[in-house]
Amino acid sequence: MKKTLFISITVLMFASCTTQKPLYTWGKYEITSYNYLKNSDEKSTQELIETYQNIIEKQKGSRGVVPPGIYADYGFVLLQANKTEEGKAMLLKEVTLYPESKIFIDRILKIIEE
Amino acid sequence: MKNILLIIVIAGAFFSSCTTTAPIAKSVAYKGIYDEKPLTILLMPPINRSTNVESKEYFHSTLNIPIANAGFYVIPTFLSMEILKKESAYDAELFLNSPLTKFGEVFGADLAVFTIIHKWDKSGLAAKVYVQVEYIIKSIKTNEIVYTRTGDVTYDASVSTGAGGAWGALADIAASAINTAATKYVDVARACNAYTFKDLPAGKYSPTYGTDGELPAGKKIFKANLNSKYR
Repeated sequence: MKKTLFISITVLMFASCTTQKPLYTWGKYEITSYNYLKNSDEKSTQELIETYQNIIEKQKGSRGVVPPGIYADYGFVLLQANKTEEGKAMLLKEVTLYPESKIFIDRILKIIEE
Repeated sequence: MKNILLIIVIAGAFFSSCTTTAPIAKSVAYKGIYDEKPLTILLMPPINRSTNVESKEYFHSTLNIPIANAGFYVIPTFLSMEILKKESAYDAELFLNSPLTKFGEVFGADLAVFTIIHKWDKSGLAAKVYVQVEYIIKSIKTNEIVYTRTGDVTYDASVSTGAGGAWGALADIAASAINTAATKYVDVARACNAYTFKDLPAGKYSPTYGTDGELPAGKKIFKANLNSKYR
């Protein structure tokens, strides 16, 4: 009985200390996006694309959806790499998942058309 | 009897490690955010006033994760960078004290996050990085500051292998050497952002949205010792 009490108190305390599962998981997002920001060469582009694909396909966050901005920036990087159709498709996926993005996605699509 | 005492002591130790000393509730400290219920956040390019030219990019690449994970929609950074450049608005310093309504029109943003890196100093021998960074979040609608915190952060970049004694220390030095500089410094910025935004009100995509107002806000001006293990 005492043991049960002790265990339940301990579990409760740990529960209040541990951080919850994050809304989204991001893989190697930070370092690969830094390298791309810094170098924008073939290697850093390829690595960033792999990171985006990983975030999309192996998402383990508590919301179970792709984080804000990932489809959009992935699309943008594809556009920079002259993969126009693929890039546009990704931008539109962002709008479907996050309708609040429509305003600036439309703006980027317009910049591309120019 | 002994058992009960033990439980109390352990409980005390646990609770003291969890609580913060700041007594102000988030709903009071960050009232503007709770009133406005913002969704969309624009990250302004960090302002670098330190002597380290690289530090701007370290912060730029690491700001969106803690804010998105708090439940907000963060405008994608590469896209916003492109648009800001096209609109000749890439220098955030120019907008720190001026109306932000244009950013509402262009991006549909509710809040703008300014990051000012005041100091970024390295000490070679001890593998430590000292950062002073100020975060200012402004409402795009009212131009009011709705959140601000300034941190003096000491980041210990030596990677601990966990092994003790003289051999452990040698192993630590070797382990630090394989840590590439970029990875290390990106992690310094990551830790600063993660620590600071721990007390950010929950955004609309968070399960605690609207119910976290009673939790304590962090100190406006704080000191922290961080390392790569800080999450």
